Amino acid sequence: MSLSAGAAASEAAQEPARGASPTRESRALPRAIGRAALRVLSTVLPVMVGVVTAVFFLLRIVPGDPASMILGDRATPQAVAELRERLGLDAPLWQQYTEFVMRIFTHGDTGDSLVTGVATGDLIWSRAPVSLGIVAFALAIALLITVPLALAAVQRKDGWIDHAVRILPSISMGMPLFWIGLLLIIVFAVNLGWFPVGGVASGGGPFEWIRSLFLPSLSVALGMAPPLIRSLRAQLLEVTEAEFVTTLRAARVSERRIRFNHVLRGAALPTLNLLSVNLAYLIGGTLVVEKVFGINGLGTLLFQSISSRDFPVVQGVALYCAVLVVLVTLVAQVLSALIDPRLRRVQ
Amino acid sequence: MSFDESGQIIDWLAESHEISDDGLVYSFTLREGLKYSDGTDLQAADVKFSLERNIEKQGPIMLTAPIASIETDEEARTVVITLAEPYTPFLSELTGFAAGVLPSDFGGKSEEEFFQSPIGTGPWVVSEWDPSGDLTFVKNEHYWQEGKPLLDSLVYTFIADDNQLLQRLSAGQIDAIETVPAANAAEVDSNEATTLISGDSWAIEQIFFNTQKPEFADVHVRRAIAHALDLEGITQATTFGTARAATSLIPPSIAYSAADAGFELGYDVDAAKQELAESGYPDGFTATLLIASGNASRAQIAQIVQESLAQIGITIEIESIDLAAFRERFRAFDYDFMLNSGQSDSPDPNGLVTFQADPEGFSNSYWTHYTNDEVTALMHEGRTTPDGPEREQIYLDIQRILAEEVPYIPVYYSSTLHGTTSKVHGLEGLPNASIRFQDAWIEE
Repeated sequence: MSLSAGAAASEAAQEPARGASPTRESRALPRAIGRAALRVLSTVLPVMVGVVTAVFFLLRIVPGDPASMILGDRATPQAVAELRERLGLDAPLWQQYTEFVMRIFTHGDTGDSLVTGVATGDLIWSRAPVSLGIVAFALAIALLITVPLALAAVQRKDGWIDHAVRILPSISMGMPLFWIGLLLIIVFAVNLGWFPVGGVASGGGPFEWIRSLFLPSLSVALGMAPPLIRSLRAQLLEVTEAEFVTTLRAARVSERRIRFNHVLRGAALPTLNLLSVNLAYLIGGTLVVEKVFGINGLGTLLFQSISSRDFPVVQGVALYCAVLVVLVTLVAQVLSALIDPRLRRVQ
Repeated sequence: MSFDESGQIIDWLAESHEISDDGLVYSFTLREGLKYSDGTDLQAADVKFSLERNIEKQGPIMLTAPIASIETDEEARTVVITLAEPYTPFLSELTGFAAGVLPSDFGGKSEEEFFQSPIGTGPWVVSEWDPSGDLTFVKNEHYWQEGKPLLDSLVYTFIADDNQLLQRLSAGQIDAIETVPAANAAEVDSNEATTLISGDSWAIEQIFFNTQKPEFADVHVRRAIAHALDLEGITQATTFGTARAATSLIPPSIAYSAADAGFELGYDVDAAKQELAESGYPDGFTATLLIASGNASRAQIAQIVQESLAQIGITIEIESIDLAAFRERFRAFDYDFMLNSGQSDSPDPNGLVTFQADPEGFSNSYWTHYTNDEVTALMHEGRTTPDGPEREQIYLDIQRILAEEVPYIPVYYSSTLHGTTSKVHGLEGLPNASIRFQDAWIEE
């Protein structure tokens, strides 16, 4: 095999980057990010308006009155009526909606909690760090599980690791998230005592904080990882069997370099896309494990607020989650552009 | 006034009290040196202010006594309350949450300002309220019970999940839990690391009929259902032996209960069939049983009711909806029959009877629309008759009529179930399901 063939193959393999001179590269990247941001932002507003409006009207269609939830079974109808008036719940729906939308623009939040009187923004900010912590750790753990397992499976295709990686996810995919959480609590918190049973350590320093969020994050990650592992494994196999890899091997590029620079990079994109599609699962999963682990995060706040028909808080949390989903989608698109330069041009 | 673990009325901020022979004049002498948590003195005038505000407010747990006048004497530390007519439940109403004593004119603040950072005479003061859920109390240094509370602080954490609650307790991560689910009571009791604190409560699990529905307006239908239900079995199955099957509206922990009198119709399927045959629906009918979701034992009771009534030809559909929607439905009389609980706030039978059998009250016999002139008359009589055999007879008569007419079926008398780690001592559970923490201490 001639050297020139090898060089050509190598260039072919790096086709996406070829021709992008350093200066063009450095200009293209911010432009690509900017374009992606613009595109996402142009979808943000309609999404926000849609979410806010849908949540506002859905909440009011569902039977149940915040005033009688606050006052309890034994409140007189007069007391309930007075409270409704004080909370502005007796105003016509269109007026409530207009005031609500105006408030978002003027104050940047959805109003004070009907139950506690605390501003929704404050409630969300006090609880968001915990929920975001779980989301971030879960994501990190899911990736830490996914990448090595998928790589190991592909490396020894049809070996025992490969079989295990194909069978085990099917089993764990059948397990509901709360069940995984309970199992982890019983094994690692109650029996082994390595982690707290639940709650979030306050005042114990960052280590304690992370320790208390580990099991909830692991639960979400275990629920999330199986489809990711499957996707990455399939993509890796496809890329490994691609012609350019054979050519790279022929050019005596080291296996390690092939695996990390070419194969993994080529296979990462669909997995990343799957990950961003799975975002709803991630956030939903976080809300579920908060209940199982007794963590007062956004999920618990949302659950309590729905039960007590605390409209401003439900609307606030919904809006917050929508913003979060849009932001993470943006990040995923930017990352995709970083991994595959072709996408920068397409965009 | 307050009450103890067994529901006996005891003097609290008042050192002593006297009732005139005609039952019209109540004289209270306040304890010496009573202070609010900010160190200011509690005056007799504050008691007058608080009671008058309460009557004016008509809050959720209102004071209904016919108070004609309140006289105070700061020197003698006395508050003399004169009633327009005798009202026997008055003392017991003064034990309720609504009868707390606030400073006159809210200590110069507006009502809203005052409740932003309230002061009181209780053993604890809120020191921190974290909107993310925890509520921290510190000891009230000016509390009137010498040397109490024994603990320096108290942190209330809100945990929604029962499993989480129990596991944190058994791991010693929390010291006490307010409610132990009945299914886990035995486990908490037998575990060496935990202690179950159980007592009689003033709560009763009940089936309420909407007597505006033609089927349930028929007394024979209601009686048929009462006969068809094995309350003993339901109680055992759904409360795991922690509660006692009910036989009357007034629980045994409240005076004049007919729990042992034998008024209840009793489990008898043949009698049930016979009652149904005498009703306007001899071939049965279909009805919906409304329950609030999220309550496992109610869901179980509903299923047993469904199966039991199928035996006599009544088809039941169970509708389980969330609490907010549930409340809206029954308050609008938009239900056939439902599972709910009744709870007395005070140790006097008048509270429950008024709430559940008074068609003139706002809840319209607890949203059953049940009206019986004889019961209404007896209820009025019961309020003005002094305690004694005569008053007892009145409430026994009311319970007998209610058992015969079955506007609701009392299913079981709930117990209060609190759990602590075995290091916690002195925690006192009260029959209104609240907890007294001032005698609690933790072993090192």
